[in-house]
Amino acid sequence: MTDFKDKKKISRRNFMAIAGGAAGVAAMAALGVSAASGECRPNIPEIDVDKIGSTEHKTDVLVVGSGMAGLFTAVKAHDAGASVLMVSKGRLGASGMTPFARGIFAHDPAKASMDLDAFVKGVSRSALETNNPVFTRQMAAHSLERVKELKAWGFFETPLYANVFKKPMDQRNIPVMERVMLTHLIKENGKIAGAAGFDLDEATIHFFTAKSVVLCTGAGGFKPNGFPICDLTHDGTMMAYDIGAKITGKEWNDGHPARRENPADVFGQWGRMLEGPPSVNGVEIHHDLGVDLNYNVYRQGPGGEKNSAPPLSGQKMAGGPFRPAGFDSPGRPPMGGEGDKGHGGLPPGKDHGKGPGHPPGMGGVPSGGASAGMSIHKAEGLVPMDENGASNIPGLYAAGDALGSHMSGGIYTQIGSSLAGSAVQGAIAAVAAAAYAKKITVPVISKEKRLKIEEKILAPLKRERGYSPAWVTQTLQGIMIPNFVLYIKKEAMLTAALAYIEELRDHHRPMLRAADMHELRLAHETSNMILNAEMKLRASMMRKESRCSHYRLDYPDMDTKNWNAWINIYKGHDGMMSLETQPFDRWPS
Amino acid sequence: MTIKSIKGCIGCGTCVQTCPTDVLRQDTETGKAFIKYPADCQMCHLCSMYCPANAITISPEKSIPVVVSWG
Repeated sequence: MTDFKDKKKISRRNFMAIAGGAAGVAAMAALGVSAASGECRPNIPEIDVDKIGSTEHKTDVLVVGSGMAGLFTAVKAHDAGASVLMVSKGRLGASGMTPFARGIFAHDPAKASMDLDAFVKGVSRSALETNNPVFTRQMAAHSLERVKELKAWGFFETPLYANVFKKPMDQRNIPVMERVMLTHLIKENGKIAGAAGFDLDEATIHFFTAKSVVLCTGAGGFKPNGFPICDLTHDGTMMAYDIGAKITGKEWNDGHPARRENPADVFGQWGRMLEGPPSVNGVEIHHDLGVDLNYNVYRQGPGGEKNSAPPLSGQKMAGGPFRPAGFDSPGRPPMGGEGDKGHGGLPPGKDHGKGPGHPPGMGGVPSGGASAGMSIHKAEGLVPMDENGASNIPGLYAAGDALGSHMSGGIYTQIGSSLAGSAVQGAIAAVAAAAYAKKITVPVISKEKRLKIEEKILAPLKRERGYSPAWVTQTLQGIMIPNFVLYIKKEAMLTAALAYIEELRDHHRPMLRAADMHELRLAHETSNMILNAEMKLRASMMRKESRCSHYRLDYPDMDTKNWNAWINIYKGHDGMMSLETQPFDRWPS
Repeated sequence: MTIKSIKGCIGCGTCVQTCPTDVLRQDTETGKAFIKYPADCQMCHLCSMYCPANAITISPEKSIPVVVSWG
């Protein structure tokens, strides 16, 4: 953002005329020709496709994403002796959900009200066994160490995490590339070989050759209104799925509501909390933020009066989601983003008990779907093959919300554990990825693969005709976000919604069009959201029971005989989405 | 509009770098930030929280229709 010279305007028509020369672009990239500095301006609103070059990068461990998981992955992989490069679609410490999380859990054996065994048992009871106790224990056991490190970096002194995250990265001279969206993971000879993506500020495609890649890309949603996840579209998950990784946890739903008046106004609803620095949470196990409110509203209709919640919104309703003993009342769930200081699942108001306070005008009638498209923290993403977050693709790891660790299962259990889990899992995946990188030689990405990927990255820019990502996104939201589709599920509606999503997948996804680098980002994000919608619908149809945050109106009971299992999704040999189950007590085979 | 106005921008580029959804860009002539893609604003206020000049005002209304689960 320094050079504002050489402004060269190019009309869309002109651009499209040039864009025909795709072969030229590909040839240029194959030669490794970069856009000469000065020819391409930063923040270019329009781009000249002839000037899109490609740049090469090499590293032992490539960290994708710059939130809490990314920070610890980068730092610990570096400390384990690996060369590390971090790439982020946004800014270090200011993208994804991390910048909005204000609570982090720490299990301090000296002070905690229960020991690790009791904690794991309590979480499993709340999660109705949907959690993986290995990850539950791991999070708690390592949480205090991570919190202490964060404290030393000044984390608990400011809400501006970017300034804090910079310290340990600068101390180690770990390079960070911001505002670069990765769209493809690259596999060679059955192992991870790197990744590729594009720059939001330069006409450049970036290729990364990496011995190991750790996805710290968070989860995502359908760019919903009322929750700060509109930059999260499951990018890491979908890149990984594309090269054969297994994906899990798509049937769960985060049940955050928003306020009906100005539902998209995130700050208006969470502002007071966001303005202060974070704090540490002790043991406090819940069973919250599932779909109790969604069920209430489905049965009774939304509340109609101002400053009034729907009738019985704080009580369990007959026929609704099952609640385990000891967690009878759908009280005040943990706040989203990650962790919290006791913020309710309803926007705080006079009807919902004592929250940490709320700005003037808060506490209105709730509206649903604030976090639509997002599962429960740590419950969706890459299927872990072991406790290090290794995926089924050698060299590819995930941590934090990109890893389907089922650390808390299909429901929110421990307040602040999401942020702690990201820190802990990042640090652990880092060491494993660094060790893996030590054992292998630098992979080689074939020219043929480069050309193919480059073509796919740029395709929306090259199309003269096509659908705008914004329109496709809104259409998708209209299909997926209604309460009677995403939350209160039944076979007929899931089937109907899937038909619409398949139409978007087969006919619209291949015709997404972008006019500039911003829209190129939107196009790839939209493409990922379509895949996520399909995964959510298929997993929801498959799980013929109700448990935690997955509720089927046609199968309202828990079925422990047939469904003590997670659902894993993978790309079948025919390229179609395939599903399988994995018993709760086993690692994948 | 979502981000309503930017007044007193010093052209540091912090908000452009910080915005999670890439709403803001810097003017190529003046270097000052402007609202380039208002429809993508998620009203998280990170831009204004990081702005050293307190230049950004944000309104609570989304500039495009909002899809929610019920109404």
